[in-house]
Amino acid sequence: MRDVYAVGIGITSFTRLDYPLVEIAAYPGLMAMRESGLEKIDHLYVANMGASRINHQTGLASAVIDNLSLTPAGAEAIENGPASGASAIKQGYMAVASGLHNIVMVIGAERMREVNNLEATDYVATLTHPMAEYIYGVTLPALAGMFTRLYMLKYGVTARHLAMVAVKNHRNAMNNFFAHLHEEVTLEGILDSPEALTNNPIVADPLRFYDCCPVSDGGACVILATGDIAKKAGKPMVRLAGIGQATDTHAVHDRKEPTDLLAVREAARQSFKMAGIEPGDVDVAELHDAFTILEIAESEEVGFFPRGQGHLALEKGETSLGGILPINTSGGLKARGHPVGATGVAQAHEIIVQLRGQAEKRQVKDARIGFTCNFGGFGNNVVCLTFVKEG
Amino acid sequence: MEMSIYGYKCIKCGHVQYPYRTICKNCHKNNHNEFEIVPLPKKGKLLTFTHLYAPPSDYEVVSLGLGIVELEDGNRITGQLKIDQPQIGMSVAGRVEVVRRDEYNKYWGIVFYPA
Amino acid sequence: MAVDLEKILRPPEAELPGFPPKFVTLASGEDMVIRQVSRDEIPDILPYIEPLIRVERDFYHIVAARVYAELLSYYTHRVQDEYVLVAQINGELASVVNGRLVNNDLGMSYHTMALRRGLRVGAHAFAAKMEYHMDILGQKEVLIVAESPIGFRRWMIEYKLEKRFHIPHELGGVPSWALTRELFDRARQSLVVGRRPVPEHLLVRAKTAILPPSDPPTPPTDLLAATRSMYDSTATALIEQRRRLGDI
Repeated sequence: MRDVYAVGIGITSFTRLDYPLVEIAAYPGLMAMRESGLEKIDHLYVANMGASRINHQTGLASAVIDNLSLTPAGAEAIENGPASGASAIKQGYMAVASGLHNIVMVIGAERMREVNNLEATDYVATLTHPMAEYIYGVTLPALAGMFTRLYMLKYGVTARHLAMVAVKNHRNAMNNFFAHLHEEVTLEGILDSPEALTNNPIVADPLRFYDCCPVSDGGACVILATGDIAKKAGKPMVRLAGIGQATDTHAVHDRKEPTDLLAVREAARQSFKMAGIEPGDVDVAELHDAFTILEIAESEEVGFFPRGQGHLALEKGETSLGGILPINTSGGLKARGHPVGATGVAQAHEIIVQLRGQAEKRQVKDARIGFTCNFGGFGNNVVCLTFVKEG
Repeated sequence: MEMSIYGYKCIKCGHVQYPYRTICKNCHKNNHNEFEIVPLPKKGKLLTFTHLYAPPSDYEVVSLGLGIVELEDGNRITGQLKIDQPQIGMSVAGRVEVVRRDEYNKYWGIVFYPA
Repeated sequence: MAVDLEKILRPPEAELPGFPPKFVTLASGEDMVIRQVSRDEIPDILPYIEPLIRVERDFYHIVAARVYAELLSYYTHRVQDEYVLVAQINGELASVVNGRLVNNDLGMSYHTMALRRGLRVGAHAFAAKMEYHMDILGQKEVLIVAESPIGFRRWMIEYKLEKRFHIPHELGGVPSWALTRELFDRARQSLVVGRRPVPEHLLVRAKTAILPPSDPPTPPTDLLAATRSMYDSTATALIEQRRRLGDI
């Protein structure tokens, strides 16, 4: 198995984009090729969830490869719910590591706002179990609400802690040009003031509006290649050192302990083992905070903090930009945005930017090991990636 | 006519699973369709709940009560709640009713009331 | 004998109680002042509304065109018993809401337009409007319609407005919905928010000048981009295309 490096990266703004999905996918691909100096690729993977239903486009990867004028290179679309991005990176890794290809482009793209908000929410709800959850009107926020209620009861997490995640991530996003939301939020505005209930209404109690990520359009790209090609590109060498993936029951009610995210635990364990590092070695991480509770829960399950103490670390500022383990320096899904298929690739993009030392105002000093957790469905399919800086 | 939600009892090991799985989660030994259909109990304990204020477009209500219940036989089920002040741990009893309607179809599922 | 035509053309004007200004703290921590404006301030507002007529998404174009007309008719005394409230953040215009009185008991809500998005500004401004009709003018019912699906969801569904479909609304003659005193009282907790009196420095800032919104909605930069996708309903700029590209 050969070592695999990130050679080029590209990203669009995550916002409401007035461009067709294929172009939202192509633009970061163009950016990545220009910044790496590459003019050809061997293969393309496109991570996406909604193309066929929301954007009326099947065979997305075939459309994108021609839009980039990169035919006859092979191309496939990868769908793994919200974990599509990291899954596509995993496929790219396997292609290069196995020797099948030398240069693989991985793009994640989504254009959710081509349809109205109700349609988009309903579409994401199709991730749930059809007969045991979907027919009841269960949506992902509903599952997150039920999960949060139990988590608060078991570990003492409060609405204040959830709001702190939102405040932190919004502040981080102010330094991220590509983020969806460039608006700081304050605890006063979303929790304490008399008008907080109108500013921050309940979505699925106890989760409120500012606990849920926005609906975004966007695309991101990472080009993976062998060490020789990476050296020629002249950028700091960032190696994809560890990959882990695990699944859990489809219906959330089937989980033995409903507050456990076992798929996260196992996927992270595999990823660290493959990279040969411990959770404590990580300098910067992108966790999947589609709901603010998930950043707290994942930070425990992957092993950064003891079980039930993630919210205490948050309180102490350990996961803020100046803390010992900054989480979601990009703003996370909460403020950077969550175009479903693009998120996994965008998380990798942020880690690569950090490890290269290009993060400017949101740079984590001397970051050498980065980690991402891409959470599919409601925790039933999780892919974790570990990146390591070399030299 | 009283309706029930059905669980699937593995012919090989007797484990009742809900929802349906092609391979029995307990023994992994069954062949295709080697399940007996058994009605699930309707009484249980409320494990967690939420009120969804942004329900899907098929629902014209302001909020939807949803919960996870642990039934008397140990199986868990997700259902709608028609309970004023739900409490974790309370006893609930279910009835099979129409839980969702779209343009052409009715979908039947379990709705829990205070026991 | 000179006939004062202007007197004939102007509708009779009643003395309406003013809206006592109030302020709310938004999610961003910024304070927003909601106050009533007089006719003299309308020319300050019109230039901020006009560009929105070119924004062809989320129904900004039709709402802006109608609001422009309504503000202008208020200014030129050609509409009866209209009021205009504005919401300002740091003096910048964030929202315009207006409506009028049909009679002592019945109000006709016109528009709720948000120029600053993402902070529930529209929700606060709409609530202020309803408070004005119910608590300050003492009316029994307000007739409401929505041009956009967002409005429909926020008002008709969330507040469970009653159907008054036999009454055509002044906005297009379409079937009206009504907020009754009973519905208002039931929703009072979420509808009547905000604090009074407004701190002196905030009020002075708001009254001194109505500043232009710093990040208003704009038409897309690439007019043809959205037309390359199957559904470009989010960004159709057909009228703007004809205007700008029509000469080609």
